[in-house]
Amino acid sequence: MSSSRLESFLARIYVDVAAREKFLADPRGEATRAGLAAHEIDDLANIDRDGLEMFAHSLEHKKAKHGNPKNQHS
Amino acid sequence: MNADRFGIGWRPRLAAGILSNLERLDIVEVIADDYFRADRQQRRALRTLAAQTRVTLHGVSLGMASAVPVETRRLDDMARLCDEVRPAFWSEHLAFVRGGGVEIGHLAAPPRCEATIGGALANLARAKQIVGIAPQVENVATLIDPPGSDRDEAAWISAIVRNSDSSLLLDLHNLHANALNFGFNASEFLTRIPTEKVATIHLAGGKWIGRNGAQRLLDDHLHDVPDPVYELLAEVAARAPQPLTVILERDGNFPSIEALLVQLDRAREAVARGRAHLIMNEIAA
Repeated sequence: MSSSRLESFLARIYVDVAAREKFLADPRGEATRAGLAAHEIDDLANIDRDGLEMFAHSLEHKKAKHGNPKNQHS
Repeated sequence: MNADRFGIGWRPRLAAGILSNLERLDIVEVIADDYFRADRQQRRALRTLAAQTRVTLHGVSLGMASAVPVETRRLDDMARLCDEVRPAFWSEHLAFVRGGGVEIGHLAAPPRCEATIGGALANLARAKQIVGIAPQVENVATLIDPPGSDRDEAAWISAIVRNSDSSLLLDLHNLHANALNFGFNASEFLTRIPTEKVATIHLAGGKWIGRNGAQRLLDDHLHDVPDPVYELLAEVAARAPQPLTVILERDGNFPSIEALLVQLDRAREAVARGRAHLIMNEIAA
């Protein structure tokens, strides 16, 4: 199912700096290579880059502070 | 008479303050995941707390809103803890937290589409089957509008809550943050969701962060509840006549317990204001 593939793709670009940089350098190409659906590729090509970076940095900050994801509440 | 309840999230740093003020709290929310691998002493402490006051268990790592099924072993963990603690209810987030073997380490908003609605409904049905009680489900804050979405948050949440046995745990700071971050009206959001299924409210605070001139409100649980969130609470109380449980969440930068209890008092006032509005409307009708 494409949506589970998209979730996997998002998880990787959220937490993996190298994967995120590669994606931001060529969003459409990386999304296509991941086998995502056409509408998902279009969405990712127009991704909110600032939002993505802010979310990724907030994750890095939490991991640096707490280490264990279990200690991050919401 | 309405049986609204007001409580606070259990954190080790707040333990002494909570235990010495149980008469001012109707309920205490405990992070379930902190106890899945706890030793016997910690589990006993939790049972002791549950014997002293009403407790609810709040999960953070099941990843209910996903096209991928939640692993049975994770639901078994929750089932065992619920059997042991007998909480008033349990809850989880409408989020995905892992994908393709990668742990995100926090709650991520999934693509808002048919696949994640179907996945969430299947996960919630399995959770009810395994745990024995359907979880309440919570809306999450997000810094990024999830790619792959074909509908907005109100439509997506409504589809899940209307078609499941789960009640809604409405986090009003998450709603406030998403509304500011993505330019929608939080009050209008409340008119579009099934408020008759709201059972619990979360209150928290956050801070503004920025990048390249763009600003986002981060729901960090490290700051006091802002005024607009109390206004939203009054609006919910005016729309939802059923009993509400209101929980204040604070994860760090802890003020005194008294300062937190003052925020709970403000929540009580906001609910009372909303209830008064509800009664006036009923009289007028």
